[in-house]
Order: sequence, then structure tokens, then C-alpha cells
Amino acid sequence: MILEIGHFAVITALVLAVVGMITPWVGLQTKNGAWVAVGRQAVTLNFFLISIGMLAMVYSYVTHDYSVKYVFSTSNSKLPIFYKVAGLWGGHEGSLLGWAWILSLFCALAVWIHWRTQPAVMPYLISIESTLLTGFLLLILFLSNPFERTLFIPPDGKDLNPLLQDPAMVIHPPMLYLGYVGLSIPYSFAMAALFSGRLSEEWIKVTQRWTLFAWLALTTGILMGGYWAYYELGWGGYWGWDPVENASFMPWLIATAFLHSVMVQETRKMFMVWNLFLIILAFSLSLIGTFLVRSGVLSSVHSFANDPGRGIFILAFLTFMLCLSFGMLIFRSSKLKSKVEMESFLSREAIFLYNNLFFMIAFIIVFIGTLYPLFMEVMKFQKVSVGPPYYNAVFMPVAWGLILLMGIGPYIPWRKSSVASLKGIVTLPFFVAFCSLPLFYLVGIQDIYALLALSITLFTLTAIVRDYSALAKMWAERDGVSLSRGLARAFRQNPRKSAGMLTHLGVLVMTVGIVFSTLFQTEKIQVIKPGETLALNNYQVKLVELYPVTGVNWSGYEGLFEVYDKNKRLVTVLRPQKRLYEVSQTPTTEAAIHQIYTGHIFLTLPEVTPDASSARLRALHNPLVMWVWYGGGIMGLGVLMNIFRGFIFGPSRNKGVTTPAVVVPIPDNAEIVT
Amino acid sequence: MKTWQVVLPLLIVCLVVVFYHGLYGNPSYIPPVIINTPAPDFAAPELYEGKEMRLSDHKGKVVVLNFWASWCRECALEHSSLLEVNRRYENDPQFVMIGVNYQDKENLAKEYLEKHGNNFKHVRDYAGKVSIDYGIYGVPETFVIDKEGMIRHKSIGPIIGESYTHLIDKVIEPLLRGETLKG
Repeated sequence: MILEIGHFAVITALVLAVVGMITPWVGLQTKNGAWVAVGRQAVTLNFFLISIGMLAMVYSYVTHDYSVKYVFSTSNSKLPIFYKVAGLWGGHEGSLLGWAWILSLFCALAVWIHWRTQPAVMPYLISIESTLLTGFLLLILFLSNPFERTLFIPPDGKDLNPLLQDPAMVIHPPMLYLGYVGLSIPYSFAMAALFSGRLSEEWIKVTQRWTLFAWLALTTGILMGGYWAYYELGWGGYWGWDPVENASFMPWLIATAFLHSVMVQETRKMFMVWNLFLIILAFSLSLIGTFLVRSGVLSSVHSFANDPGRGIFILAFLTFMLCLSFGMLIFRSSKLKSKVEMESFLSREAIFLYNNLFFMIAFIIVFIGTLYPLFMEVMKFQKVSVGPPYYNAVFMPVAWGLILLMGIGPYIPWRKSSVASLKGIVTLPFFVAFCSLPLFYLVGIQDIYALLALSITLFTLTAIVRDYSALAKMWAERDGVSLSRGLARAFRQNPRKSAGMLTHLGVLVMTVGIVFSTLFQTEKIQVIKPGETLALNNYQVKLVELYPVTGVNWSGYEGLFEVYDKNKRLVTVLRPQKRLYEVSQTPTTEAAIHQIYTGHIFLTLPEVTPDASSARLRALHNPLVMWVWYGGGIMGLGVLMNIFRGFIFGPSRNKGVTTPAVVVPIPDNAEIVT
Repeated sequence: MKTWQVVLPLLIVCLVVVFYHGLYGNPSYIPPVIINTPAPDFAAPELYEGKEMRLSDHKGKVVVLNFWASWCRECALEHSSLLEVNRRYENDPQFVMIGVNYQDKENLAKEYLEKHGNNFKHVRDYAGKVSIDYGIYGVPETFVIDKEGMIRHKSIGPIIGESYTHLIDKVIEPLLRGETLKG
């Protein structure tokens, strides 16, 4: 009964979504605000209605109602309660409902926050968001209904995919949905700007926090997915260029480009069409990703059920949204002539342009790699698949270019710079980066790619350190305080710049993590018997014993390993497992990880003989691998600081304080973005 | 009308057409190469010597064809099993094992073999043609071809544990004895 109430609530939400789609237009045509207010009520109510639907599903999970098809296929009475609830987004139907719920939440929030300050945008925002919601609710109710029951009531559920029974995996999908759906708000604002013709910078300023939030969620989602793959799939890596990983990476790349290029529009009133294009593209890519993942056109490890009916619907909806958004953009673009022309290719706006160019190239690389197999198949050419070597080879130079720009862009002045000024900016970082090369070489880093990546990272790090040490010194001298206080002031006085710097530092840390954990990874695979040891770099891994183990819903084998360092001292004891989940009969390998400094000793048992006399051991040493996620954490901190800078530092901390006029080293790059 | 205003709609149309056709393709691609059909012949350069090797050169032998790549983690996992299989039968004139290096760089492939050891021949599948003919879905995949040149066994994923014993006891041994496979 409770489930039916939920089902009915979602059906009502569909009706209200249609209302929300239409009434604001009627309001605009008749110039009657009451119609728009109806739309507002509709989106607010929709959030509550879909929440009822979600709660009803949760109720079915908690009460083991396996007459519900979807609950039956993604849950089991033996599951811990945490994973019972997480089963809701463990499959196609439920995760779509989650998508719709987040969409209704964001829409209601956006209307609530901006109702008074952005009255002109509201009718468009309500209508566009309701259109999206209508599309998703139609798909849910007619083609992917999680509320559907079966006549025959199974005694127990089929179980949640064991690989998903993991804390990181419980949070990873909702984070991605928050990111995808979060992008819909700036997208709707952009569309409102296009429809209303109010094409000034306002929409960018208003949606800045939404975009940052969506970006943060998307980044967190991607990084958590990587972390999950790392310790759960047991192959010792975190990124495999799988089509579905790419589907989340593409909107991320474009959203990142957008976050950078909006600064040019804010400051220099340029890139107007480009920014509209980017945000439309970023959100369209979220929809394209949904299509790719859920229609089954691409084969991937993240397989959802393949159903052409669903595929056709999503494609039709996607086509409608693409035509509407890009059509409007083309239609309006004649109106959008940049007020300002670029004056020099040596200026901050030019660096942003290069930055965007690199992000676009990165996007095109991933886009082509992801769709090439599909394209070849459609054109009746041969069946192909694109492997990691393609991505690694083409992506790397682009990443280097982006890191290099990070060391120049923030320090070059707007409008126009000179070669002399550029020299002033790059000389010291270049010198440091160049001199570091032989040092790196001497300490044993002899891989050419590693050397290049590390020296470029050092280039940008030097630029950041120089900038902040100069600022710290200046504030310290100005206020007569110590250097550390000066640094704190420099940090506080320009929170947006500092937040950006922090995010860039995070990128550098992550780069070092990626370089070391991939290029300097050591892998050993060996059949091993109790008592035997395997040498892994400076460590000895000894198998003490192999024994059977059982868990709540699985059984398997565990190996007890002792890890010794080169002085034969015991470092740690590790227990990797080979599990078999009983209900679904799915085998998994549970990695055992020990952190040494910021690297990992990573053990898995891909195979154990039935009598437990020997096992195949895969042992990995992944140096500095945690830097990948530490870097992600620092990036996240930077973005959080940017989102909440008003709350943390107060709206205008530097009231009464004269903004410093000069930033070393070059007098004319004194511009401080506020 | 600016160029981008024309190109953008065209791109969208292309994308939608590709997606539409993609829906009716078979995404998970159950390859046409099925057990008990003749193994497609191929001619591909040998990894070390560079001279061309054909499958038909080995007619009359039981051929184990293993598709692998240096970037493939599961391949490294099964590699010692493959070496073991070849060690077991290398003196049998009726047996040959061939590795097909898939979507890889030559130097990386050689480095991989140096690291993990090698006792059988490998060909390079430059254009991915051999892999396509065999309907490779991912690496590693292993085919066993009988003396008449018919594919008698295919396994997806690493040859370890049960799939190893199955390959030896239930596939290679009977085929070498000239028996037909059960099941």
C-alpha cells in the first residue's frame, strides 16, 4: 500500500511537471504573474511528491517487500541495512528515480533562492527544469518503473551486486547525479538568458556557486569511483578509460573549461557565445552520458540492462533538448557580438582562451575515443575497441599543456602584456624546472614522461610559491607583521584568488600521484604456498597461511601475509580475500592494502586452490598513490572555499584596506581578481 | 551565417543518426566466430623477427591462439599459465601456441615479455584485423583450433584455476589425441 502511495505521488508529479512546463509560458504570453506562481507551486510540490516516491521505495527495501520487481533484483534479506537502502540506486530504475528526485530538489531550491532576485529568469527556469523533469518522469513511469510489482512473490531478493556493496560505491553514484543535475541550473539560467534576450553577464554571476557546486560533486563522484575501482576491482589502478567513466569525465572537462572562461566574461565581457555554448554542451553531455550508459549502445563494465525502447525514448528526448538549446544559441548568437575584442595574444584572456582550447581538445579526444567504436559499427566498418594506450598517448600532452598554463595564466595581466613581462613571469619557474631535471634523474627518475611531467609541475608550483611569498612579504611589510601573518593576510584578502590557487595546488599534488603510481608501479604475480615469500621492491611478502572464511552473505578464502622491510623487520600483516557471494554466485577479490608513507602495498588473491594449498598472489607497490586523492581533497577544499568565501571571509573583508597596487615581480601584473 | 552555425547542427544530426543506429546494433557484440567453425586464416608479422606468419602454416597441429596486450592486467595474471601450457607441450610436434599482441606498442609488448618471460611465438596485430576476424571482445581471450583448422574452444578472461585445468584436460589433451570434444 505504501508503495502504491509513492507510485501515485510520482504519477502526480508527472502531471505537475507538465503544469510547470506550460504555465510559466502562459504567464509570459498573458503577462500575468499568477501563472508563473502556479509553476512555482508545481515545482515545490514536485519535490515533496517525488520524495514520497523515494521514501516509499526505501520502505519496501527495509520491509523486504520482494513483490516489487526492482527491490527483488537489487536487494536481499541478508544485506546490512545500509546496503538495503543503497539498493535503491543500485540499478537502472531506482537510480533514474534518484536523478529525478535530485532534479526536483535543485529546481525547488533554485526557485526558492532566486525568486525575489531574478524574477525575469524564473518563468524560463521553471519551464525548462520542468521539461527536464517531465522527460525523466515519463521514462521512469512508462519504461523503467521501479514501483512495478510481480504476481509471484519470491521468498528472498536476488541480492545487490556484490561489487556495489561498498561505502564508496554507495556515495559515488549520487555524487555524480548531483553533479549532472547541478549543471542543469546554470544551463537553465543560460537558456533563460537566450529566451529572454537578457544576455548580459548576470546569469554567470548568479549561477557561479551552482556551477562550482556541480563541479565539486562531479569531481568527488569521479574520484570516489576511481577509489572504489582501485580497492574493489583489485587490478590496482583507478582509471581505465571505460566508456562510462568517460561519460562522466566529458561533462567534467567542459564544466572545468566553463568555470575558467566565465572569468573572462565577468572581467572583460568577452566569450559570451562561447560561455553559453560551453554550459549547454556540459549539460548536454550529462544527458548524452545518460543515454550512453542506459541505452546499452556501448559495451562497458557498468552495464545497465539493454533495452532499445528506453534507448529510443532517451534519444528522442536528448535530440529535443539538443535542438532546443543549440537551436536557440544559433538563433540568438547574432545578437551576441562581444563588446570587446581581444587585444593581444599575450594577455590573461588569451591564456584563458588557450586553456579552453586545451580542455576542448581533451574533450574531443575522449569523445572520439568513446564513440569511435560505435561510429565504426554504424558505418559498417569493422568492429573496433579503443584501448587505454590511445588515451594515454593523446591525453598526456594536453594535460601537460594545461598544467603549464596554470603557472602562467594567473600571473599575466588582462588586456595586454609584453614579451618582457612574460619573460619575467616564466624565467624563475622555468629555471627551477630546468635545474630540477638532473636532480630528478640522479634520484632515479629516468622515465622521460615522468621527468617532463614532474618538471612542468615544478614550474607551476614555483610560480604559485613565488606569487604568494611576494604577497606575504608585501602584506607583512605593509602591516608590520611577521611573514606567516602576512601570508595569512594575503590569503584572506583575496579569497577567490586563494581558492583558485588551492584548487591548482590540488591538481599539482594529483599529477604527482598519477605520475608515480602509474609510471613507477611495481607488479609481481606469483603462485605462492604457505611459508613462501615474494620480493616486492624493498619488501618481502610472506604467505603465513591460507584458510577459509565466511561473512554474512559470502564465503571464501583469506591469505595471511606478513610484509617485511629490507631490514627484515615486520612492517604489517595483510589479509586479502577471495570471496564468493552466495546468492548471486559472484566471485570478488578483496584487496588488502597497507599504506607506507603515501604509497601502498596492495595484495590480491585472484585464485586460491580448493584445498587451500596454494594461491596466485598479485602484489603491487604503488608509490604515492594516495596523492591522487589527497590532491582531489585539496581541489575540493579550494572549491568549497570559493563557494563559501562570503561566509568564511565576510562579504567585503578588505573594506577600508587599500588593495595592494603592486604584485611582484612585474609591476604591470598587479591585477588582483576580486 | 557563420561556419559554426552550419557545422554545429550538422554535427548534432550526425550524432543522433549514429546513436539511433547504435541502438539497433549489438552492443555487447557476440562475435560471429563460434565454436566448430573454421578458424579465419591470418597473416601477421612475427613480433621479434618481423617475418609474416600465417595460421595456415600450422595446419595439422592443435593451435592455441592467445590474444593479449601489455596494458592488459588480466593478461599478466594468466601469463605464467600460458608459459606452463607451452612448456608442457612444446616438444609435441602436433602442438603450437601463438600469442596475438593486440592494440599495443612494439617496445611495450617486448618489455612485457621480458618481464613476464616468454617461450612461444607472438604476432603483432597492427590494424586490429586478426582481432576483428576473431571477434575479440577484450583481452585476454584464448582460442583452441584443432588439426583440421576448426575452432573448438574459446575462453574469455584469464586462463587460471579451473579454466587452466579445463583447457589442459578437457580441450588440449583430447584434441591432441584426435578426439572430439564433449559438450
